[in-house]
Amino acid sequence: MKAATIFGIDNSLKALSRSINRPVITLTAIVLALVLGAMRLPFVQYLRPVGDFYVALLQICVLPFLLATIPLAVRSAMASGSAPGVIRSLIFWVLITVVAVAAVSAIIPSLFFRYSSPDERMVANIGALLGRSADTVDVEFAIDARHVPENKSASDFGIFALIPTNVFASLSSNDSVRVLVFAAIFGIGMVLTERNSGHSIFDALRHIQAVCVLIFDWFSLLVPIGIVTLVAPQVALLGPDAFKALTLFAYPFFIAGALLLLAGPIICAFALRASPFHVFGVWLKPLMLAASTRNSLICVPLALETLKNDLKVKEEPCDLYLPIGIATIRFGTILYFVIATLFVGILMGRQFNLHDLALLAVFSVGASFATIGVSGLAALAPMAIVLRPFGLSYEVAVPLMIIIDPLADMLRTMLNVGLNGMVAVLAAARSVVPTSTGRVPDS
Amino acid sequence: MFLRSISGTLALLIWIALSSPPAIAQSPSRPGLPRDLQSIVDAKVLRVAITRFDLPSFHVRGADGTLLGPEIEMAQQIGRALGVKVEFLDNAASFDAVVDFIAEGRADIGISKLSQTYNRLMRVRFSEPYVTLRHALLFDRRAIARAAGGHPPAAELQRYKGRLSVIAGSAYVDFAHRNFPNATVVEARDWDTAIASLLGGQVDAVYRDEFEIRRVLKNKPSLNVQLGSAVIVDQKALLSIAICDTCSKLQEFINYHIGVTRGAFTLNELLNSQLGKQVQ
Repeated sequence: MKAATIFGIDNSLKALSRSINRPVITLTAIVLALVLGAMRLPFVQYLRPVGDFYVALLQICVLPFLLATIPLAVRSAMASGSAPGVIRSLIFWVLITVVAVAAVSAIIPSLFFRYSSPDERMVANIGALLGRSADTVDVEFAIDARHVPENKSASDFGIFALIPTNVFASLSSNDSVRVLVFAAIFGIGMVLTERNSGHSIFDALRHIQAVCVLIFDWFSLLVPIGIVTLVAPQVALLGPDAFKALTLFAYPFFIAGALLLLAGPIICAFALRASPFHVFGVWLKPLMLAASTRNSLICVPLALETLKNDLKVKEEPCDLYLPIGIATIRFGTILYFVIATLFVGILMGRQFNLHDLALLAVFSVGASFATIGVSGLAALAPMAIVLRPFGLSYEVAVPLMIIIDPLADMLRTMLNVGLNGMVAVLAAARSVVPTSTGRVPDS
Repeated sequence: MFLRSISGTLALLIWIALSSPPAIAQSPSRPGLPRDLQSIVDAKVLRVAITRFDLPSFHVRGADGTLLGPEIEMAQQIGRALGVKVEFLDNAASFDAVVDFIAEGRADIGISKLSQTYNRLMRVRFSEPYVTLRHALLFDRRAIARAAGGHPPAAELQRYKGRLSVIAGSAYVDFAHRNFPNATVVEARDWDTAIASLLGGQVDAVYRDEFEIRRVLKNKPSLNVQLGSAVIVDQKALLSIAICDTCSKLQEFINYHIGVTRGAFTLNELLNSQLGKQVQ
């Protein structure tokens, strides 16, 4: 009797969550957040603590969820023997998507900049923004090399940033990327030892995963509140003057980003043989969570749930790829770096030919990997890798990008979640569980 | 015998004239007195040399020609403390010319954003610094990025080999030769000319102190796109009052005054000063 009551409550909560997270409510929350943010009313900044509280709630189960999900996915792939095929398929679609994103990132802004260039007034406004935001000097150096500040150790950068030398330290410092790597390695080890000894804790991990999903279900009741309280203060941070001065960057970035975001559900719908409107409506939930939290990893549980439960995509490629893909393949950052470089180029009077554009795309993909393990403004630092080979000033780019980052970071995170979800769908496309009508059922 | 004694007396007079103490020989205005605190008090005037051009935020000429600014105020405070009136000699054509005024005894002190340098210290004394500013460069971003070849601009600026503009007759001529031995130092007539040569592409960087570099960008923010600023963290301009070489007591007096008024000049106050708003 008691069990029946508990299951009843659980089902009611799920039903309520689905009802609250209908596309129409999500879209209403977005519109409300944008309007409140654009009005820049003073009370909007008081919403921020509510939003931060919501993000903190969501973070509760992220690491336990990843620790449970990845070993389970590794086991599933290794047990079924499909791992090589799934991995090959994932690598293929990752490469195709990276090339497509890099191409869109280079082509659309190039076309845009061909027909619009900064006039003197815009340069003056941008200079004023630079002067206001960078109220210090650009560069500091010493004539005597002994006065130069020491560089960080090599273990803070590149491949070293991925190695979980102390997983407990990584867990306590919320270092999700190192936790992911640990989980993948540990998962392989667990499968191999299970084969030898017959003992495992996979059932316990499955239980932990179910608990995390349940807790995420509870918190997803608050998604619309989260959207309003997180997005509105971010939008309010960017004044109309700043936006007007940076339109030359903002338009191509948001146009190219919107195209890629729309392309994702359309391609997924084609692969799943489902209605694009249905896919878009379902996929809106993780996308909006990405926009509001600006934290890709927080979106992993919701994105996985959406793909597996709502779109009926096969679990194995999703579980195996999505957490690692979202943490490492940063499509939004590629787009951002390419367009920021083209923007700084046009500002400083540099022209890009086709060869330059190809190099720019390659450098941006490379630099996007250098952002692994970092988020927020720190993720802008690798932009120097892209700008400097073209003789462009990183010191000009960063203060400008910081100004527009409240909005740009939202789109970057949406692209990271959206396009990685698309890769998982494409890799798993042949494994879709069709309904009797041959269509993916509506949720 | 008489002729011998006459010629002996003449020779003695000539020897006395030629061997007079240099401080007296260099004091044409008040011959016979060593120039120090007591002589200034006795003369009831403190002669202060300043540049004939304005140094915004430090000293400027008002619409009616009145001298204004914290350096002027500081000189007047010193004069009041001494109980003498202050006479400004404001026709020094360069920073070095202000030092010349002191070294040649035409002024008691010089106050015009003067940096201490080895060359100047061989000719005059300096007070304790009343403000210390870091050396800085204003550079053409594209030119330096091109020269850096993909490396950070700091690496290129540290061993700068291009054309570097400084104001002629300023301490930065010495500093440029010492700190950037591989650069081609171009001496500009004044600061405006130095900035114009940077904007016109004749040079790729100009060298002065952090205040002046930041003031250029603050007064004309649109230049932030084209020009970058760099601070040299281990090179400091000690802005001090130049004092006559024999005036040890006056130096002590001025040091005490600077000590009790320390903090009157800060970089941010100077940058935000209404007297610094003149656009280059």
